[in-house]
Amino acid sequence: MRYLDLAIGKALDLGAEYADIRVQRTTDEVVMLQKLSLKNTSHNQIYGYGIRVFKDGAWGFAHNKVFTEEAVLATVQKAYDIARLSALVNKEQQLRLAPERSYIATYNTPVQIDPFCVPLTEKVDLMMEVNRTLLSYEGIQSARFFLVSHKDEKLFASTLGTRLELNTQWIDPMITATAVHAEDSQSRTFDEGGRATGWEWILELDLMDKARQIAEEALIKVKAEALGPEQRRSLVLDPNHLGLTMHESVGHPTELDRVLGWEADFAGISFATPEKLGNYRYGSEIVNFVGDNTLCGGLATHGFDDDGVPGQKWHIIKDGILQEYGSTRDTALEIGLGYSRGCNRATYYYDQPINRIPNLYMLPGKEPLTPSQLIADTEDGVYIQGRGSFSIDQHRVNFQFGGDFFWEIKNGKLHRPLKKVLYKSNNPEFWNSCDAICDERFWRPFGVINCGKGQPSQTARMTHGSSVARFRNIRVGGSQ
Amino acid sequence: MNASFEKIVQYIKTHCEADDYSLHIMGGDNHETRFAQNRITQHLAGPDLDITLNVAFDNKTGSASVNQDDPHTLDHLIKTAQDIARLNQPDPEYIGTAPAAQLPQVDNCDPATKNLDPKQMVEYVNQVIQRAKTMDARVSGMTEKHHYERLLFTKGGFLGYDASTSFGHSMTLKKGESETKVSFAAKSYAGFDPQREFDRLQDQLESLVNQQSMDAEKIAVILRPSALGELLRYMAWMMNRRQSDEGFTPYTGQMGKLFFGENFSLYSTLKNPDITASSFSSEGIPSQEITWIENGVIHNMPSNRYWAQKQGHEPKEYFNFYIPGGNTSEEEMMKMVPRGLIINRFWYIRPVDMKVGELTGMTRDGVLYFEDGKVKHAINNLRFNEIPYQATRRILALGPNEAVSPSTSIPSLLIDGFNFVDKTSF
Repeated sequence: MRYLDLAIGKALDLGAEYADIRVQRTTDEVVMLQKLSLKNTSHNQIYGYGIRVFKDGAWGFAHNKVFTEEAVLATVQKAYDIARLSALVNKEQQLRLAPERSYIATYNTPVQIDPFCVPLTEKVDLMMEVNRTLLSYEGIQSARFFLVSHKDEKLFASTLGTRLELNTQWIDPMITATAVHAEDSQSRTFDEGGRATGWEWILELDLMDKARQIAEEALIKVKAEALGPEQRRSLVLDPNHLGLTMHESVGHPTELDRVLGWEADFAGISFATPEKLGNYRYGSEIVNFVGDNTLCGGLATHGFDDDGVPGQKWHIIKDGILQEYGSTRDTALEIGLGYSRGCNRATYYYDQPINRIPNLYMLPGKEPLTPSQLIADTEDGVYIQGRGSFSIDQHRVNFQFGGDFFWEIKNGKLHRPLKKVLYKSNNPEFWNSCDAICDERFWRPFGVINCGKGQPSQTARMTHGSSVARFRNIRVGGSQ
Repeated sequence: MNASFEKIVQYIKTHCEADDYSLHIMGGDNHETRFAQNRITQHLAGPDLDITLNVAFDNKTGSASVNQDDPHTLDHLIKTAQDIARLNQPDPEYIGTAPAAQLPQVDNCDPATKNLDPKQMVEYVNQVIQRAKTMDARVSGMTEKHHYERLLFTKGGFLGYDASTSFGHSMTLKKGESETKVSFAAKSYAGFDPQREFDRLQDQLESLVNQQSMDAEKIAVILRPSALGELLRYMAWMMNRRQSDEGFTPYTGQMGKLFFGENFSLYSTLKNPDITASSFSSEGIPSQEITWIENGVIHNMPSNRYWAQKQGHEPKEYFNFYIPGGNTSEEEMMKMVPRGLIINRFWYIRPVDMKVGELTGMTRDGVLYFEDGKVKHAINNLRFNEIPYQATRRILALGPNEAVSPSTSIPSLLIDGFNFVDKTSF
């Protein structure tokens, strides 16, 4: 596109030390069905470009939706002027960009069946059938199905000579059944958190079977007993639960911008400070976390980030020890890291990219171990599936999590269903209490499509993953 | 009205073939300067536009949105929404779009704020950074200004247009292990003085010296307005008429009954000059004086047009929040209980149990312990698991009102027996 060269040329003429332009078209199709009523069937498109200029140790970012030569040039000028204003404040403490080479590349999410080409009638028919199935169960008072298909088409050019064409897609079905019984109501949700793939994933999932399962489990849950007073117990956690726990307690604390205090006024900072790199025992020896923006199906797998840095795979925690962060070109040099890990991402064209969690997952256990064997080896504990309430302090130390479905474990057996279970723990207690992880046969990915961060607020996506794992001696009990 | 909005309305009126439709246009201009650790880390500016068209053929609905207003894109918008509706299954809960309505006059726009020079905003940032440097501390935050215009037009005859401005400045100061935050948000920057705000921030930070460890317990709290504001967002979200009628919230069957504390009231109002009020909702419900809770009795809950028609009541939505306060100062509150905590702010509040109405969350930005009517020292942050409507029954005193956002005026509250359940390490 001619505007890319025009913008880069203008930025160089103005004297920018670095500049890039990102032309981005974001398209969403959303279908929301509640109790057989279509609450939202929409097709949404956001199209424009954002221009970053780096000058005298400061950023300026301007965005526009008008595609004319005049508008592009004016937007570059605006970004440059803003950078100059910022530089007046940053004189004594300039930002610096980690070195990067130029790339000319294309990336496309591997998709067999484009969700945007699947007829709407086919989607709504499927959703209606799932809704009717849920509502056919006596006691299910509410049935909800939320389906979103998303794609981003980006063109990126920078003063380094990089030219990228990146086309990414993901899809997310989420189904909830809510049961009402006596004085209580309880929900059960099927939610894998989205995956960077096509409609073929929906066909593989067998959503009718999932609907029957969550309806039956919602009815079990609403009649289940609460756990009672808090005690130290074992926790056996499913991958779709652990995805959220690792997101909050490992993903966010290892974002380098938080470590540096750049989120101090809003999302918070991190206890995992740079002097801990290479020596801090974040978890037990079997705990290994990997950042991987090359993961197939990963929501943060984009080929390149919005700095023009390629996707990479690296250890964040190795054998329990904190190794490295997720970083960007403007954060890496702050801790003497000579390269970025490619974690700078923006949500829409009008967002300035910020340091985001990569695809982040826990490696499976090395020894053969099945979930059944793990439960059989647990005397007194709670098995938690799915995501529930979640809250963590702004340094990412103390946290409290719920879940979506619970079983009490007694003497190696699933003893009784439970509801209203919470556990409280903190870093580093929680990950150091991990004493067993099932093997790679049971490793599963789970996406997060609503990771809020930044001012102005942005929503990013990434994928987590793990096998079923056990945590010893955690405070587990009912609420209040 | 904005001429480009009017042009879009005319285009849709001329070209949309649907039996019924509503057109929402939201446009604006934004400038945001983000600073952290005594330097500017992000700095962005640009215009926004969102055009959303909801259409219906009989009771088959479709929706589309775009952010460009040229004829080609508007044709795409109309075709997409209409195609979806034609293909869609009927929506049994569809009701026609809002009819013409008389809207209240509101004044949410300050021209000087709309035209505030970015150089001035950067100067504000520079001033607070220089102040932080002189005390060997680090400041992080954001200065922002926004100008929004909003239009709703329906085939049923509704036409509403609002313009608003907002100016915000928030900052967190950290020195050693102590950190705290202040924020300013209003429709106009006229009342903003960066030096005065920094004085307030510095005073707050200096009050946090001598931090001591404290375990969680049930204890009296003085919730400053910024802390109450965080709780209110979730309390208000849970108070939904349909959710309650269908049995999903603690408010089921409580309409018209004494349910909150008798000294707790909540209103949306057009009469308070300190807070802004939009003149209509996204569904085209005209704003009017609404008593949500008065002296503890639930009078209304938010209800959309479908549910209101089905149940035979008036549709209502929040358009601002006003909790009338009292005259009790923080010093007087501290003397009313043997011991307690002063909470500056809450953080990461999430529902624990929707049916019970229970929330969890952490304190943030400074917690002070007081005893015998005096502040003794700062303490570590704590986690709460609390049911807010029950907490209002334990309100012992109310302080004067403060605007914590352009559309929210609330007081500080002294609440007995607030349920803290865990502590963190800082």
